[in-house]
Amino acid sequence: MRLAIVRLIITGFFILIASALVYLQGLRGHYYYTLSKNNRIRVVEGEARRGRIFDRNGLVVADNRLSFELKVVPQEVRSNDALFSFLGEALEADKMALWATYQRRKVNTFTPVLVAQDVPFPQAIVLAENKFRFPGLVIQVGSKRYYPYHDINAHVLGYVGQANRAQIRELKNYGYEVQNFIGKSGVEEYYDSYLKGELGGLQVEVNNRGAQVRLLSFKEPHKGQDIGLTLDNRLQTAVTGALQGRRGAVVVMNSENGDILALVSAPSFDPNFFIEGDPRVTDIFSDTQAPLLNRAISGQFPPGSVFKVIMAIGAMESNKIYAQTTFACPGYYALGERQFRCSHVHGVQNLTEAIAHSCNVYFFHTGLLLEPLVVHKFATMFGLGLPTSVDLPHEAKGFVPDGRHSKNIRGRRFSKGDRLNLAIGQGDTLATPIQLAQLMATVANAGQPVRPHLIRSIGAQAVSYDAVNVKLPVQKRTWNVLQSGLRAAVGDYSGTAHILDIPGVTILGKTGTAQSSGDKPNHAWFAGYVAQGKIPLAFCVLLEYGGSSANACEVAREIISYMQRENFL
Amino acid sequence: MMEYRNLGKLIWVLTLTITFLGLVTIYSASTHSTRVSQDVFYQQLICAAVGLTVMFLLSQFDYRKFYDMAYGIYAGSLICLGLVLTVGRDILGAKRWLEIGFINFQPSELAKVAIIIALGRYFCGQRPTHDFDVRTRREGLMKDLFIPLFMAVVPTLLVFKQPDLGTAILLFGIFLTMLYVSDIEQKYFLRFVVVCLLAVPLMWHVLKPYQRDRLLVFLNPNIDPLGAGYTIIQSKIAVGSGMIFGKGWLAGEQNQLNFLPERHTDFIFAVIGEEWGLVGTIFLLACFYFLVMCCFQVAQQTKDKFGMLVAMGMMAILTMQVIINIGMVLGVFPVVGIPLPLVSYGRSSYLMFAFILGFMLNLSKRRSVF
Repeated sequence: MRLAIVRLIITGFFILIASALVYLQGLRGHYYYTLSKNNRIRVVEGEARRGRIFDRNGLVVADNRLSFELKVVPQEVRSNDALFSFLGEALEADKMALWATYQRRKVNTFTPVLVAQDVPFPQAIVLAENKFRFPGLVIQVGSKRYYPYHDINAHVLGYVGQANRAQIRELKNYGYEVQNFIGKSGVEEYYDSYLKGELGGLQVEVNNRGAQVRLLSFKEPHKGQDIGLTLDNRLQTAVTGALQGRRGAVVVMNSENGDILALVSAPSFDPNFFIEGDPRVTDIFSDTQAPLLNRAISGQFPPGSVFKVIMAIGAMESNKIYAQTTFACPGYYALGERQFRCSHVHGVQNLTEAIAHSCNVYFFHTGLLLEPLVVHKFATMFGLGLPTSVDLPHEAKGFVPDGRHSKNIRGRRFSKGDRLNLAIGQGDTLATPIQLAQLMATVANAGQPVRPHLIRSIGAQAVSYDAVNVKLPVQKRTWNVLQSGLRAAVGDYSGTAHILDIPGVTILGKTGTAQSSGDKPNHAWFAGYVAQGKIPLAFCVLLEYGGSSANACEVAREIISYMQRENFL
Repeated sequence: MMEYRNLGKLIWVLTLTITFLGLVTIYSASTHSTRVSQDVFYQQLICAAVGLTVMFLLSQFDYRKFYDMAYGIYAGSLICLGLVLTVGRDILGAKRWLEIGFINFQPSELAKVAIIIALGRYFCGQRPTHDFDVRTRREGLMKDLFIPLFMAVVPTLLVFKQPDLGTAILLFGIFLTMLYVSDIEQKYFLRFVVVCLLAVPLMWHVLKPYQRDRLLVFLNPNIDPLGAGYTIIQSKIAVGSGMIFGKGWLAGEQNQLNFLPERHTDFIFAVIGEEWGLVGTIFLLACFYFLVMCCFQVAQQTKDKFGMLVAMGMMAILTMQVIINIGMVLGVFPVVGIPLPLVSYGRSSYLMFAFILGFMLNLSKRRSVF
């Protein structure tokens, strides 16, 4: 009985399918046949305008502008030769170049292929008038990315470009389609899913002259969301100016909440070149100075003496040294037959003085007291060797040796010499400028870590970053000693960063001169923070092959003076 | 009523016919194509050979061995489903593949067979629920409905999590069919179905955005002409344009011009429709119908309850896949991603159906043994 019912139901379904087939192929067959034969379906993409990007004062730093786009629908073209000859003439461009672009971008027969963009208005008119002579020719108004401040924010903003096949395959499920523009680096890449909006489009039936016969379906495009950054465009401009003609990076952030006010890497590039397909793009790629590298987050350099901050904290917290502990500096430290040099003959130094004068010998002694594993522990605690998780792609994480893996890298044990190098931030130790700025923010907050970030709002929604709710287990007196040392480095007449002693501003910080491999000049560092200002600031200046750390201090001075003048502080 | 003497022979003939049609169509879908490699044809050819061998071998053994192994197979398939969620290979955002050594397969196909055999064993160990008093009625309901429901829901949820909505629906369909032909009282079954229907709106919230899109697109293909709707529009054009006699083998334009996505797997029926026309599609549909009816007759004539239940479960899976797959190509059902049995490219799927048909052959041989 029940089996019979099941059989009845099944038979019913088969009859349903059979009648659907008879309807589709028998009764409506001719309609679909013509659809497939004479008339063609054309997919017209309704472009989603990309969200704009603002700086913290509401200035537009990434905008959209109109552009006439020339597209060709492969299946409708009668004669490729005639069409491209005409296009070459009308656009005053090389016919073969246009043909090559077309061939490269063609995906299938019905999706329009973008052949030229930014067609000047008069030429666009000419093309539109000849639309009916050349079926398959389409002129559309699209929008294009535009960066009004050119190279100022290049590394933060990144740029956009057409997604390649691999990216499309990977991102297909997230709504990305062929020929979409996709963020290629910086904020454009990191927040692409918010900025990109949702592609719309039409499916239209066109006759053999390319005219629309009927609209088959329509989907409205949605605009991408605007994004607000914590960046200050004025400060970015000033910092870019200060770095003019040099190689390096600067990070300026609010040490309390992690807002990044400026993040500049020099040399920079003009992201508009990528949008316009400017031939100068090749120069950017082939430039030996690597302008595309964002040195502030992806450049890894030995931190040099800035690392002594970690050593001081580690040694005091492990009760190896105290504020009053003194070591005598004869200008060098002899290890066997090798001499590890100091910058001067400092004589007897206590910890505060050693930090202020950046005495290597003092920290050589400290380094021998402290196990490398312990140094590694403290460095990791302050975020060295770990990415800061700033909201930018491709962040490097640096490296801090822990004395155990060295054997695998160098094929020998972690020697005493390695320990001495570690103590002054040389050897295998690597850090990025943003890591050192973050380190200084943590010091400024007496152990309260922050997460540096660029995002301020998405759409109308403000994005807030709560402070990391762990305080590092470091005693108050350690902070006091360290901070007095960092202050003395700037405030004391003999301090290494005395040049930064600007009246009216209390700067604390540490210089660093890191040896680079080979005969190249040293890397110059200054990492520090401003206390008792209007906004609490932490910052880091790196000059790649910049020579003495005094050069980095000069750049820092220029930036801080600017901020003082412009009433930031 | 159809009554065939030589059921086994008929099953073989139908299976071979359908397989042949599938291979021919895959060949067509992969020639002159940049998107579908010609390799898929040869792979499917080898797979068919292996599958048919499996089918033959399986028909030689005594199917009641599976009665003993039922729960073991069931447990094994649960482990595989669990594994695929943790270490499975990610293809297009879904974890459906499991790699063991050089073999990779879809555990969801194994789950179909496992659930059928396990439920078959469970249900045939049941007493009828008639004339129970109040206290034992609750117990009876527990035994007849809730325990098997639990057995079916666990793998269903694991498959749903992959996410594979289509197979999850199939697994639940198997359960419903087998529950119906078990000894459960009619009124309980009807109440249960009503409860399920009421729960359907709740399901909406559990679906992934793209799954919702597909269902919405089914209601109105025009809302997403470039995405999910595109496939439906194109496949309808392909099938319809075949008209009565079709455009001929290798001559389908929608197929050859790359209009049709997924045309060697889930949407292969569109290629058949375009190239062979109404004649071809009705012929294929008829083959499937007769195959289903064979399974049905096997179920009816088997004296053994376990055999009957398993045959019904297997018939259910075959029917549902045929109906849902063709229905989605024609735009009658939403797109849920289920292959057409024996025709679509896909090794796990082919082997699973070879297993099922082998089982049927086995049953048909022994249907009068008792």
